[in-house]
Amino acid sequence: MILEANGIEKSYGALKVLHGIDLSVDEGETFAIIGPNGAGKTTLFKVLTGESPANSGVVRFRGQDVTKMSDFRRARLGFGRTFQVARIFPEVDVFTNVAIAVEARLSAEGRSPGRWWDWRASSQVALEVEEILERFGFARARWRTEARYLSHGDRKRLEFCIALATRPALLMLDEPTAGMSPSDRREMTGLLARLKRDGGVSIVMTEHDMDIIFELADRLMVLNYGEALATGEPAAVRRDPVVREVYLGQHHA
Amino acid sequence: MKRLIAYGLVLLFLLFATAPYTVNAGLVFIAGIAMTEIIFALSWNMLFSYAGLASFGHAAFFGVGAYTAAVFLKYDYGLHFLLVIALGTFLGGVSSFVVAIIVLRRASGIQLAILTLALSQLVVTLIGYSAFLGRDEGIPSIPRPVMEFGLFRIDMNDQVQAYYFLFVMSLLAVALMWLLLHGYVGRRMKAVAIDPERAAFVGIDVWRVRVFAFTIGGAFAAFAGCLLVPWAQIVTPDLVMWLHSAQPMLATLLGGAGFFWGPIIGVLVLSMVNYATRTFAGLSEVLVGGILLIVVLLAPQGIMGFLRRIVERSSTGKPAMVEEQA
Repeated sequence: MILEANGIEKSYGALKVLHGIDLSVDEGETFAIIGPNGAGKTTLFKVLTGESPANSGVVRFRGQDVTKMSDFRRARLGFGRTFQVARIFPEVDVFTNVAIAVEARLSAEGRSPGRWWDWRASSQVALEVEEILERFGFARARWRTEARYLSHGDRKRLEFCIALATRPALLMLDEPTAGMSPSDRREMTGLLARLKRDGGVSIVMTEHDMDIIFELADRLMVLNYGEALATGEPAAVRRDPVVREVYLGQHHA
Repeated sequence: MKRLIAYGLVLLFLLFATAPYTVNAGLVFIAGIAMTEIIFALSWNMLFSYAGLASFGHAAFFGVGAYTAAVFLKYDYGLHFLLVIALGTFLGGVSSFVVAIIVLRRASGIQLAILTLALSQLVVTLIGYSAFLGRDEGIPSIPRPVMEFGLFRIDMNDQVQAYYFLFVMSLLAVALMWLLLHGYVGRRMKAVAIDPERAAFVGIDVWRVRVFAFTIGGAFAAFAGCLLVPWAQIVTPDLVMWLHSAQPMLATLLGGAGFFWGPIIGVLVLSMVNYATRTFAGLSEVLVGGILLIVVLLAPQGIMGFLRRIVERSSTGKPAMVEEQA
């Protein structure tokens, strides 16, 4: 089990958003959190990534309590993260965006990211950056483009490259296809599917697009008013009458 | 743009390298001061542009270096001046490390600005209590050092030798900062400056990077302070005052904060304005204020940003998509 959460409760002031959520994600599994707007998906997600502390409950990563662990320590442990609105380093070029992540990982592993006086990335870093960028379809001609000039879809892809450059064991994806054009959306879905096939990484994602969820997720959790309505395999959840009524019914009538 | 910067740098290098033989003594003196201010401004921009920290008390570390050098030269402890510089730089680094540990625990943004400002003014007050450091009057008529290097000696009483000593040391400092900021350390700092939260999520310890940047920035400021002393031969608490802390900020805003070389342009413009208006008391403040107003309103990216816009427009007709390594 790579990720485990027990009794997560969270309130914003008097408003209780999460009512004792339990979940567990197995190694290599793709786990989706879905639910209508305001169900607490993003809040739960932020509790799991450590951005937003829960009022009570425990989050464990491979058995280790990470509830109060700082962001960078979690990242070093194996958490990779993307954001709803892609967060990249817009003022530096595409190559440097990924190099930053690779170098951060090497430092965290206690290995040298290169010589401090060398303004070029070390050959080891460069090799890895090139491999990632090529794998995710960034043509060599665009590596020196400042990231702020990228389109929304490309930013999402670049953020994905940054997250993968840290070689995470667990990828936390907050709405990986939010705001994307249909073609970008298909591409991202294909990318995630490939990542899953290649293995070695577990994924926790929130997503609005049901087609993507049913294509990718091994298991999913339906949230409604901060409670887990149902958890299980997509086909089983889809058949659940309560779920159909409160959530899926709105889309899949 | 890259080529323009290269040409500009060569021109600058030649101007500074030949100054003692091409311009009058007054300008040479100003050129020497400008070199120390360039190091000072670059060290501040290292915090500002590369680590996202706006320190309003950076002059305190400049002061640590300057007073260290002044004490050793004035009271003649017989330490080789290079070692004095090393010591001053080290003390600057240690003091900025301590300040960073205290201040960066919680504060960033406006709290950091106020805290650093308060700490630097505290240093001014402490100097005012110390007869050893000359209280409010400072330490005047500091003798210039003579350095033995075995094969040769540098006598700073000779204006030309003193100038070239400053020149070489400044080049060294600028080169060191350039290399540091363009290597992986600089990339890491830049990541923290752009988006600390994102940086944390790739596993960068934001706090450590900031403490490191603050320490190194303080050390370089102290280095600049050490160099100023044998050249100006006087230190006063003015060097530590907030007004001096504001100099690198003005230079950086003027030259362009997003560019490594921006603060240098800024220092040069400020020095020229000060020189051109030296006979009119108060005029330089008015002019500097006016120029800053124009730059902030018309070219928020500073002179370098303005130049880049012109170059991009004239060469392609649309914004260049290629990142400038400068």
